[in-house]
Amino acid sequence: MRGVSIIGIGETKMGKLPDKSLRDLIREAGSKAIADAGIEKERIQAVFVSNFNSSYLCYQSHIGPMVTEVLGLENVPAIRTEGACASGSLAFRQGYLAVASGMYDMVLVGGVEKMTHRATEEVTTGIASASDYELEASLGVTFPSVFAMIANRYFYEYRNVREEMALCAVSNHNNAVLNPDAQMQKAVTVEQVKNGFPVAYPLTVFDCSLVTDGAAFLVLTTTDIAKQISKKRVVEVMGLGHGGDTLTAATKKSLTTFAATRQAAEQAYKMAGVTPADIDLAEVHDCFTITQIINIEDLGFFPKGKGGDAVAEGKITLHGSKPINTSGGLKAKGHPIGATGISQIYEIVTQLRGEAGPRQVKKAEIGLTHNLGGTAATCTVNIFRGL
Amino acid sequence: MAKKAKIYTYSIINSASADFVDKVPYVVAILEDPAGKKFASFIEGYKEGLNVEIGMDVELVKEDEAGRAIYKFN
Repeated sequence: MRGVSIIGIGETKMGKLPDKSLRDLIREAGSKAIADAGIEKERIQAVFVSNFNSSYLCYQSHIGPMVTEVLGLENVPAIRTEGACASGSLAFRQGYLAVASGMYDMVLVGGVEKMTHRATEEVTTGIASASDYELEASLGVTFPSVFAMIANRYFYEYRNVREEMALCAVSNHNNAVLNPDAQMQKAVTVEQVKNGFPVAYPLTVFDCSLVTDGAAFLVLTTTDIAKQISKKRVVEVMGLGHGGDTLTAATKKSLTTFAATRQAAEQAYKMAGVTPADIDLAEVHDCFTITQIINIEDLGFFPKGKGGDAVAEGKITLHGSKPINTSGGLKAKGHPIGATGISQIYEIVTQLRGEAGPRQVKKAEIGLTHNLGGTAATCTVNIFRGL
Repeated sequence: MAKKAKIYTYSIINSASADFVDKVPYVVAILEDPAGKKFASFIEGYKEGLNVEIGMDVELVKEDEAGRAIYKFN
């Protein structure tokens, strides 16, 4: 397999963007990524694009050719990936495999989602399709309630981390204040989080990631080509993993550690030849605040059941020993579902290039992204290094 | 479906999908039957202030052909 690197990144501002269509979002983020790579668009041989829910929320499927048409990529083959909230990193993984295998030398990968134009109950219905419709959603189980059940079980098996969950939101919002692309450039307090509208007990609205419009794109090529043509720091993929688990919550062996995360992480660490201690910073999938605590344990950053302690000790803040979600995360940068996995990689590349401005972490040599789909049924972990 | 089951974990929902907006607040749970089988369920009879806990017993109300079961608080 050939080494693969990222030479171009582009994303829209995340948020409620009523004036921007799917096409507008694709045009903006895709064009930025190609311009950032400093390449002629004719060099792109294939497109891998992610979208979760536009067939329901926008009556639009077949996003692949929409991307090539909008960006003027003539006769370029395109594929759409879908894996709920992990859709984006699945597109990245397919693009990686296509270049690593020798099938293509240069590809565009990306993701797009448009959600905020629909009423809350419609968005809730759409997102619930990431669980099992017949066995869960049709009984009234919403997606936040799945993770609320996970939180209650975590409280029962370990300890009540209500306070530490709130601190995850506080930390992510503090980072988002420093990110011009973030949807919520606004700080929140522990009390605000705990007293927010109780969406699904024990989760309040401030424990939940945002409903977001947005897009993000990347240009991938071989590390050899990247070194020849890139004017910016080349960011190479060191390792990647893809884990799986059952679709429904009730069938999982454990609800307080995610088997798919552990599997994906093990593969990625092994391929990269690094350990959790070697990771300078990470974007982890904080669809809900409890998920962030479980993720930092499952990724091996902190012992099982001790993620809350690490959060309380400030270890995951921007200048802590293990900065997590420097972008603001799904919680405050936003969660444009199909674009999220790509947007996480956008942040890590930005940090490894040293281009993160006021939210730049001091040591940014090796970064990790963790993207979770559904009730932790799909997971990808990617590890990157700056060359 | 077992006549009695225990709450393995639960949530009280105030923000529902389109088909359930008129039922809030309501409780969903993952239940464990005496044989150790776990499954999702809607629990009838929640009223604000009711103390719901992991380990509580609930009783079967009905089940449909798809194997979905509705339970209620004792």
